[in-house]
Amino acid sequence: MIMPLLDLKGVTKDYRMGKVVVRALRGLDLAISPGEIVAIMGPSGSGKSTLMHILGALDTPTGGRAMIDRRDLTELRERDLVRLRGRRIGFVFQTFNLIQTLSAQRNVELPMIFQGVRRSERARRAKELLEKVGLGERRAHKPSELSGGERQRVAIARALANDPEIILADEPTGNLDSESGAQILALLERLSREDGKTVIIVTHDPEAAAIADRIIRLKDGRVIGDDRDA
Amino acid sequence: MIGMLKDFLLLAGQSILHRKMRSWLTVIGVFIGITAVVALISIGLGLNKTIDEQVSKVFGVDTFMLVSEGAFGPGRNGGAASEYALDLDALRSIDGVKVAAALRERTGFVVGPTGPDGKAKQGFLTVMGLSSELMTDFSSFTGPLDVEPGGRMFEPGEIDVAVLGSRIAERLGADVGDTITIAGDGDAELQMRVIGIMALSDQPDGSDQGFRMGAGGPDADTIYVPYAAMDRLWGDANDVLITLARVKKGYDVEEVADRVEEELNAGGADITAVTYSDISDAIGTMTSTVSAFLAGIAGIALLVGAVGVMNTMFTSVLERTREIGVMKAVGAKNSHILLIFLIESGMMGLVGGIVGTGLGLGLSAVASAFIGRFFSVRMAVVASPGLILITLAGSFLLGAIAGLWPARRAAKLPPVEALRYE
Repeated sequence: MIMPLLDLKGVTKDYRMGKVVVRALRGLDLAISPGEIVAIMGPSGSGKSTLMHILGALDTPTGGRAMIDRRDLTELRERDLVRLRGRRIGFVFQTFNLIQTLSAQRNVELPMIFQGVRRSERARRAKELLEKVGLGERRAHKPSELSGGERQRVAIARALANDPEIILADEPTGNLDSESGAQILALLERLSREDGKTVIIVTHDPEAAAIADRIIRLKDGRVIGDDRDA
Repeated sequence: MIGMLKDFLLLAGQSILHRKMRSWLTVIGVFIGITAVVALISIGLGLNKTIDEQVSKVFGVDTFMLVSEGAFGPGRNGGAASEYALDLDALRSIDGVKVAAALRERTGFVVGPTGPDGKAKQGFLTVMGLSSELMTDFSSFTGPLDVEPGGRMFEPGEIDVAVLGSRIAERLGADVGDTITIAGDGDAELQMRVIGIMALSDQPDGSDQGFRMGAGGPDADTIYVPYAAMDRLWGDANDVLITLARVKKGYDVEEVADRVEEELNAGGADITAVTYSDISDAIGTMTSTVSAFLAGIAGIALLVGAVGVMNTMFTSVLERTREIGVMKAVGAKNSHILLIFLIESGMMGLVGGIVGTGLGLGLSAVASAFIGRFFSVRMAVVASPGLILITLAGSFLLGAIAGLWPARRAAKLPPVEALRYE
């Protein structure tokens, strides 16, 4: 069996909201192998977003063990978490979260700026990535000049900037019409099939679930279903 | 890292330009303060320089004066009214002294020429003894000493001659060519030939001409006689008002002044030597105290500007919370976020500084011209590159410091919370 890229065992996560402690994850087990496309589904409040944040090294578990590539998140220093986010994980958000003041090209360059990639190399790679998502002609456009589908494609190009192994997409089709949504899903699928990326999609969208190798169902902070598709 | 700074500069610049209106308002808040500070400092420096120039023009950098001890210094307005004893010949013999001149003053019993009625007018009058060097070597100090047409000032070597103040001449009924008698100590008495009547100055305030600095100045009620005549009438000088000395070429004026002070005081005198730099220092201390005070007040405006920057930056951090979350999600370190926001606030400070420096210097030029016209001097406008550089660096720093708190808040935002922010 292949060594899992992401391996969560008995993960718990508590949030303190005022005086009340909210338990978002209650002993979650999950292993994801490299190259898989995994859809994470569940009603709101099931802990999807929390799981997403832990998988993306944006947050650390309260209890249990969360291994990314055999490294335990809870034992990593902030510096290492930052490096992990910057180099091995690419985020795609429901609301795209592009920087409004920057062109598509500069948005894609942003993650590389923080890694200290040289200017010329950065520009070359951003151009290449935008061409890959079919926006080679729209590099100079600001997000406000792009359609929703185009913005999400810029966001995907940005997620790929530092060539990470893991793409985390949080409701990537949630704000798109079905045609644009289908394009985005096709793109994400290609990333897994052609480039071997591990793609994790948190979604309500059955279309998104359709491209997945596995569908993980969450409820009340636990995995209640793990369907391996044909 | 340098390359990264350049990128951060671009990021910060784009963010500033994105909020044009607010950024400009913030910048206005900064440049008003900077304008005030720059203008006041520049005017202060200009004033200092102008006074310095004026002092050096009158006084000369190689000249010092002797005044009675304590007559010069903080708390005294440079007056030299106290009389003191002086051995002028001893002063002249001190190493480094090229030329020295003194001025002593007495009240003496004076008898005028016999009038047509056979009577002579008489009275106690102010008699002032002047070294001829005052006229020959220190004319810049004494100012023009003009006598009325038909008369002249005394020349070196003359003893029994006198120049009368215009009112004295009237009161004594004396004119050029007449003889007056001045009685000194004991039996001493001199017959003095009147060789000139002091012309009234054309100063609008009615004061008499001459003596721009120091001793009371000649007036229409004084009789002027050669210094040597005073020796004959009243003996050794213990009534000197002021002494001027110039040093030989190649001698340091401070050094000679110190030596003179030491040697004369060792000989029983009680004097202080005042050089050009003592005077300009004293005036400089005064003017820089005033301008520091004014600049301090202007600094309050600067503080308000800084608070404006801080406010804008807090708003900016709040508005861009999500953006900060995104940057962290794509691999920005806390220090990156801190730097981006610091550069942003620093740039607003810098732009305020550039505009403020320009306006401040302009304002100072206008004010200088105005002050100059008012006091009829050419006022120096000081716009040193050092001042400009310090101001620009300072304004960037001001912005950055004002932005420090908001930037730290931005840097410390937990990424998950920042991303969730609506």
